[in-house]
Amino acid sequence: MKKVDIKMQVNNDWYELAVNPGDRLVDVLRDQLDLTGTKEGCGEGECGACTVNLDGKAVLSCLIFAAQADGCTILTIEGLQRGSELHPFQKAFVSESAVQCGYCTPGMIMAANALINNEPEPNEDTIRKSLANNLCRCTGYDKPVKAVLKAAKDMKEDINARFLYCCRKISTTD
Amino acid sequence: MSVYFQVEEYHRPQDLAQAVDILSRFGNRARVIAGGTDILPRRPGVKKIDNINHLVDISKLGLNYLKKENDHIRIGAATDINTIGASPVILSGPYRALSEAATSHSTSTIKNRATVGGNLCNASPCADLALPLLVLDAILVAAGPKGKRHIPIESFFKGVNFSALNREEVLLEIRIPLCSEKAGTAFLKLRRHHTAIDMAVVNVATLLTCKKERCKAARIALGSVAPISFRAKKAESVLVGAELSEEIIQKAAALAAEEAKPIDDVRATATYRKKMVAVLVRRSLENSMRRCRQ
Repeated sequence: MKKVDIKMQVNNDWYELAVNPGDRLVDVLRDQLDLTGTKEGCGEGECGACTVNLDGKAVLSCLIFAAQADGCTILTIEGLQRGSELHPFQKAFVSESAVQCGYCTPGMIMAANALINNEPEPNEDTIRKSLANNLCRCTGYDKPVKAVLKAAKDMKEDINARFLYCCRKISTTD
Repeated sequence: MSVYFQVEEYHRPQDLAQAVDILSRFGNRARVIAGGTDILPRRPGVKKIDNINHLVDISKLGLNYLKKENDHIRIGAATDINTIGASPVILSGPYRALSEAATSHSTSTIKNRATVGGNLCNASPCADLALPLLVLDAILVAAGPKGKRHIPIESFFKGVNFSALNREEVLLEIRIPLCSEKAGTAFLKLRRHHTAIDMAVVNVATLLTCKKERCKAARIALGSVAPISFRAKKAESVLVGAELSEEIIQKAAALAAEEAKPIDDVRATATYRKKMVAVLVRRSLENSMRRCRQ
């Protein structure tokens, strides 16, 4: 077996790795980089537990060979939080009780994150379509949708608040 | 760490010549990979990858594009299905069936990776994109050691998971001849559940052009009801030249159902599939008729 040399950016860090030609992205993330937030569920693209963002798009890390991610930028659930502060998605999933066993949560959040990248103010319909590849066997599907709506609203308010803060700062320094 | 697949080598050819050379060297043991969503799922009883120990990644060959040119729409074989579904080039007019098929193909997470070339080369009888391409008379451009060749899509599918491509050939491009802006096309898909992930029980694409309510051209493609996707020519022939009425559409739909040769499987029985062919063909023809500009 001939190892494949790959270089990829995961959660803002560049990694140079030698992977087996048959390794999937989920194997490398979990076993080589110890990023165990990404879960493997079915391993055949049905459940979405292994969803990560690759170059800003939601993809299933069990349906991608690690070698295919060469040169790509990958974001996993671990890359969302800033220091000890949770990301608005993580906060909203907690506050809306969209988490029970939690196994599907990282995948759901990463699918929602890719949606927000393209559409900062998604409606319920687009959220449901974007989360269509994520199965949950505990809470069901209403609470995650509510959580995503809440997070999108929080993020928008946060941006507006920061903008107003900056405006005030500029006007007071004048 | 356990290795998921026992693959000998992962090749990343930088140009077409290299890719063809690798495929010629390893023959049956090599497999072209673009998105990977068809080769990776390993289900019980489906041992697609077992004899394959060389993967040939074609992502560096520049096959990711969709553009309209003088007489063709050209789609690179490695173009992902979301790109096709969102492309303004095919969103309206006579290519709308392709857009509809791309949209209903699967979930957006899978469509971010799955490619049109993979959908065709995997030669599944339920491939969604095959049907609009059949009614649009697409030409597939493949390259091998002897150079390029053009394969009409009608002669591309040979059997379940078996296409006209030789082992050492790579599919490069799908060419759709520009057709009359007046043509109306439609795609319909029936699934067991209303989830985006399920495969088709029956899928259908149709094309109609008419002048003064009289049908000038009719094409009907059926999927999931035979070992390959195919055109229902008998049904088409009753439509051409006829005045498009409710009765003639019913007749064409019934003939299409007769032409279908489905099997019983986990998704549906053969009898049910045949009945649904008639329903879907009728609805799809009605949609096409509405979209015709006379």
